[in-house]
Amino acid sequence: MEHNPPQVHKFPQDSYVDALRWLPQLSTFSRHVLLASYDSETSTPSLQTLTFSPSETAPSLTPQASAPAPSRITSLKISPSPLSPSRALIASATFSGSLLFLSADLINGSLDLEFSLPELGFHSGPVSAIDLNDSGSECVSVGEDGCVNLVSLSVSKGFRRVYDSKGLVSYSSVKWASPVEFVTGAFGFGLHWWDQRKPGGPVALFKDDWTKGSASGIVHSIDIHSSRKHTCVAGGSSGVVFAWDIRRPKQPVMLSGVGIGNAPAYSAVESDIWEVHYDNYTHSSKMSSSSSSTILPAMICSEDGILAVIEQGEEPTELLAEPCAINNFDIDRENPSDVICSLEWESLAILTRRRA
Amino acid sequence: MDKSILVLDKGTRCTAWNYSGERLVAGLIDGSFAIYDSTDPASSNLTCTHRFKAHNCSIVKVVWAPPEYGDAVACITEDGNLSLWEEVVDDTEGPHWKMCKCFDRNTSQVLDVQFGYGQTCLKLVAAYSDGQVKIHELLDTLELEKWQLQAEFQNVIDLVSKFGNVSCLSASISWNPERIEVRQSSFVLGFNSNTPSLNSAKVWEFDLDHQRWLPVAELSLPEDKDDQVSSVAWAPNIGRPYELIAVATQKGISIWQLGSNPDHDGRLSVHRVALLSAHDNEVWEMEWDMSGMTLATTGSDGVVRLWQSNLNGAWHEQAVLAPPS
Amino acid sequence: MPGVTSDSGEFNSLSIVPHSLETQTPRVYPLRTRRAAPPFGRVSISWARGNTLRVSLLQPEGADSDGEVVEVNLTNAEGGEIPEAQRRRIAYGSVTPFALLQSRKNPMDELQYDKTWWVHVMEYSNEIKSLLGASKSYITPTIEDPKALLKDVEEPTSLKAAWELMELFYADKQSQTWIPERLLDWLADFDCLLSATQPTFHARLVSFQKALVTIQEVENYPEYWEVMSSALAVGWLDIVVKMLRLHGSYQLDQLGTREIESGLVEAVALLISQMPRLRPHISDEKLGECYSTKPEFMKAWEKWRTQITKLDCHPYWLQCDHKQTRVGLKNMIQIMLGNANVLSNATYHWIELYISHLLYIRPFTVGLESMYTLAQKCMHLKPITNQHKLMGLLIGILEENTEVVLAECSRSFGPWMITHAVELLTAGSAQAEMLLHEEQSKIGGICIEELHRLIYAQILSSHALTWNIAPIYLTSCMKQGLGLLENLLYKQPVQHHQVLLKSIEICRLNGIDYVSRHMMKIAGVHYWKHGKKGSAVFWLQQAQDEVRLNRIAKHLFDFVGKSVSDESFKQWEGMIELLGTESKTAGGLEFLKRYRDFRRSLQQVQDGITTDDARKTSEALISLMKNPSTPQQFWLHLLYDSLRLLNWKDHPLLNVSQTNLLLNKLQELSLARLLPGYVDADLPPEAFKSVRRALATNLGRAILEE
Repeated sequence: MEHNPPQVHKFPQDSYVDALRWLPQLSTFSRHVLLASYDSETSTPSLQTLTFSPSETAPSLTPQASAPAPSRITSLKISPSPLSPSRALIASATFSGSLLFLSADLINGSLDLEFSLPELGFHSGPVSAIDLNDSGSECVSVGEDGCVNLVSLSVSKGFRRVYDSKGLVSYSSVKWASPVEFVTGAFGFGLHWWDQRKPGGPVALFKDDWTKGSASGIVHSIDIHSSRKHTCVAGGSSGVVFAWDIRRPKQPVMLSGVGIGNAPAYSAVESDIWEVHYDNYTHSSKMSSSSSSTILPAMICSEDGILAVIEQGEEPTELLAEPCAINNFDIDRENPSDVICSLEWESLAILTRRRA
Repeated sequence: MDKSILVLDKGTRCTAWNYSGERLVAGLIDGSFAIYDSTDPASSNLTCTHRFKAHNCSIVKVVWAPPEYGDAVACITEDGNLSLWEEVVDDTEGPHWKMCKCFDRNTSQVLDVQFGYGQTCLKLVAAYSDGQVKIHELLDTLELEKWQLQAEFQNVIDLVSKFGNVSCLSASISWNPERIEVRQSSFVLGFNSNTPSLNSAKVWEFDLDHQRWLPVAELSLPEDKDDQVSSVAWAPNIGRPYELIAVATQKGISIWQLGSNPDHDGRLSVHRVALLSAHDNEVWEMEWDMSGMTLATTGSDGVVRLWQSNLNGAWHEQAVLAPPS
Repeated sequence: MPGVTSDSGEFNSLSIVPHSLETQTPRVYPLRTRRAAPPFGRVSISWARGNTLRVSLLQPEGADSDGEVVEVNLTNAEGGEIPEAQRRRIAYGSVTPFALLQSRKNPMDELQYDKTWWVHVMEYSNEIKSLLGASKSYITPTIEDPKALLKDVEEPTSLKAAWELMELFYADKQSQTWIPERLLDWLADFDCLLSATQPTFHARLVSFQKALVTIQEVENYPEYWEVMSSALAVGWLDIVVKMLRLHGSYQLDQLGTREIESGLVEAVALLISQMPRLRPHISDEKLGECYSTKPEFMKAWEKWRTQITKLDCHPYWLQCDHKQTRVGLKNMIQIMLGNANVLSNATYHWIELYISHLLYIRPFTVGLESMYTLAQKCMHLKPITNQHKLMGLLIGILEENTEVVLAECSRSFGPWMITHAVELLTAGSAQAEMLLHEEQSKIGGICIEELHRLIYAQILSSHALTWNIAPIYLTSCMKQGLGLLENLLYKQPVQHHQVLLKSIEICRLNGIDYVSRHMMKIAGVHYWKHGKKGSAVFWLQQAQDEVRLNRIAKHLFDFVGKSVSDESFKQWEGMIELLGTESKTAGGLEFLKRYRDFRRSLQQVQDGITTDDARKTSEALISLMKNPSTPQQFWLHLLYDSLRLLNWKDHPLLNVSQTNLLLNKLQELSLARLLPGYVDADLPPEAFKSVRRALATNLGRAILEE
């Protein structure tokens, strides 16, 4: 597969892309993408859906619908809403500390605000990250202010404060592990495991023990694979990617990182890892060889412009090496061969991977 | 490209942008502060996030403290008081502004105030209407409440002479913007007063060995020594072998080069490279850009002028920005 | 009108770039306000990011209107021809080629440099050109419609035209022998730019193209012949031949009656398509026979001219009944024979006349020899009041005056252009290289190349999306780049997480840790003052700011629950996690961690443990009490909570010297209690006494034991 480079198409935007996601797929020919962008000339943030028409030679990306945002988007999540795939539920957190829920009608091309949580009393300062659970009924949010909030989307739309660290901890990322458990990432490469059945604080703490002195960092992104809910993979400062198994909390597995204790020989990047997702595509192609104890392959994007797949004990596979940062990416759930990523220099890239 | 980014409240007397240009503080005639913040990173949309009454009389000048000490401003009121205000969050309240220090004074009024950069301890220099210059030092890096008076002197080269009965209308201070901490801190100061020898702009430098402030240069030609100074501005130096300082008097704006090596008296060589006539010779404000190549000035003619040296070293007016008439 | 002159007075042409040309009186740019109107009580200024100036217009006391803040961006000099987003795209795209070229400079030795450097520069130039727009030739006849003389393509930009001029004259060593032909191609691509404000053949062609659709029997119209002569004069041979084919005599029904006419037209068309060209190659749709060496070309040229003269004198002309055809074709022959008057009549703009002279009067011109005198002559013949900025640049190049070229580049095309085009200039001209690399004491000891890079970097800094590419250019500035980079970074709003991380990354890449520490310090203090204690501690730790950390520690300890039974201590766990394993960077806060560990083991004592573990716990107590960073307000708590250890049943856990140490501490504490300002711990009143008693007992037991 290493010898079969992906097909890459770039789409220059006239605005900065703060976040992006693939939307659920309606048919093979029409795909949709959700963008949170920021127009620097008019200082206006917005959300928009785009239609992607794949083609070998001239793929196109055309705007479909858009909705204004009160502030820049810091985190964007989508729930596929299995009952009506043409209407996707979108959660987006803002820089000013509010949370918006929108629905995208992909057939009629509309993007509507369903309800929002105003900044006041929700989070003070930016919401660092959010995550929607699989059923789309709950959304967990964390902030620099040290609050962990749980928003219910079912009947009574409102939020409940799970925890308030009173500013003693600043959270940077969050991910659901199960319907009642989630993991948060924080400053100092810390991971906290929360279980709603045991309120009052995290049930398990992970603190790196490999950093020396000032080499500590921040967890920017966490992912948990639906088939292995006890293991999370986290990416952050200094190119660090590690896996943490709640059953062996003292033994993180380093997947990448520079100049750090027992870091593996292979390091894809030296700078911040902005986003990490398990990569089902690489996984499925190697299904037979992987045992249940190895960490599943994961894709990362980085400040120094690398989009790569990292696997335990193997050299990373570089998919893209750009002269500018790759701020976020998303792997299409239905078509895991397709990846969309946003480049710092106001453009998008869509990659299609091909089997050798 | 020009665009109007903010309409200020009625009665705004003075404004100041913070280090990153994302916050604006405005001082109002009724003694209130208004704080405007950009709504997003990189946005030039500004909204008023705080407005509170701080004093009983008009605020005439506001100056931001260096950001490594928090979000704080020094403020001078019309009656000559100097106070410090700071934005904080505590357990009971979200972001709010509180007064952290009101400096004592006798009958004289504070005319200008400026914070020094890059020193291990924050310094604040204030010029008073009786011709005195006071330098205060912050005692605690995290608390803006505690200050001590480090030095007090008059703006004269001859340290022995003292002048009484001085009456100053205005003063202008500008610190050397150098941030590297090993360098001696220095600033330039000029007065508009009835006492000629106080007026001319002088460069003061802290003598670490003797723990005192010394005048190391005087920025005026012999025949102009008595000229009243309305404004001074020390240019950022990104690598020139000399410093550049602009001094405005009723004769115009002078651009001075200041050498870096002191002579045996400890004086620095000075050389006037330009005298620029502008603003009907009543200059209000001068500010250098980040590279120290362009000087922007305003004055009583109500326009903004931009000055630059060409490749031959000749200073000239590059552009005029004129509001609608 | 965009791009008319080098200094149009439009606001968007305002740039503040120093140059060496004579300066006129400063231009006045009106500031547009929403409401504010003079007189103003005060005009306040502040430089924001990069070259952005913020002007506060404040009303005088008692005025009825509001004040206002206007933001002025002193960045674009190229007259707003290119939209903002496109300009950013160019800026992004030029980073990699620029950086690559710079990196190639270092390892090259002198000899190799001379030989192969221009190859690298051309590679660079091609990359840059591709950013400036599609490289399709403007005039491409299509097969489908015989009447379509012009093909609709993307309007080119002056910026691209200027870049290509610089490239062909300086960088492209291969074009040195056929500059007139290169210039001809250039004009074919960019004549349309001149049309906007000046009479040009291109404009004429466009209007004729419109008329052509409706015209029948085109040969009867004088415009037809005029346009063809002009096209021939400027060397757009393909268009001429295409137009000739529209001649009525080609119509099938005319063939019999207009044989002679048709023959003459065809003869001229043939001659035109066989015209020798002094160039190595020509694109397929263009006409002419290429010769790459001058002797070959001269031979072919003489032969071609002989054929023209022969045709000119041919008796067939007398038999040609159609007057327009006869006159028109004869006129074209005069053009090919280089009749100066005819050429002058056939051309509009002086540059077109210039090209026609080079083609037909001085076909053997190679290099720049006397090209400037010819240009002057043509300008004299076709004077223009309002010189296009491209012509200003061209004249500077022909004049071989590097200073003018530099000034025109920067004044008319802006800092992006000058910064990047300098590479072309220095590749092609030793004089330019000297001028650009010589240190100038008048501008602070830097060279002009560096000056322009600094200015460009400052302009990049003006925009929130481009500021982070400025460091690429600043690192190529040997003298003042670092200074400007520091100033740029110090102005970043580091309370925004992303901006801070980006800045730290830039510092890391440039090895300027002191700047990143400074920024982390600012962020740390900001978070501290805004209640985000965790972030504050994290960043101050990263900044290695021990002074502030110690100060924070002192503050925090007042809030830490001091009793083992205090449940609220749990909330500090998150903060303690932050502190890491290495104690050095945590400053006084490190105590928290040791205190936490001590509490844990003490808890076990409470739960009942072995003597061995109890001994370990008491060791921990001693080390805590010994450590100077343990705050005094914790002492009594620590001792009181450890009563069980002090009264350990089996045998004393502390030896004599350890007990003495604790007694001394207790003594110190009792003295401190007498001082004003001492806050008594919230412990039972007998706490002090019980600790003292326990210690005394322990001392006794320890003495006996020893």
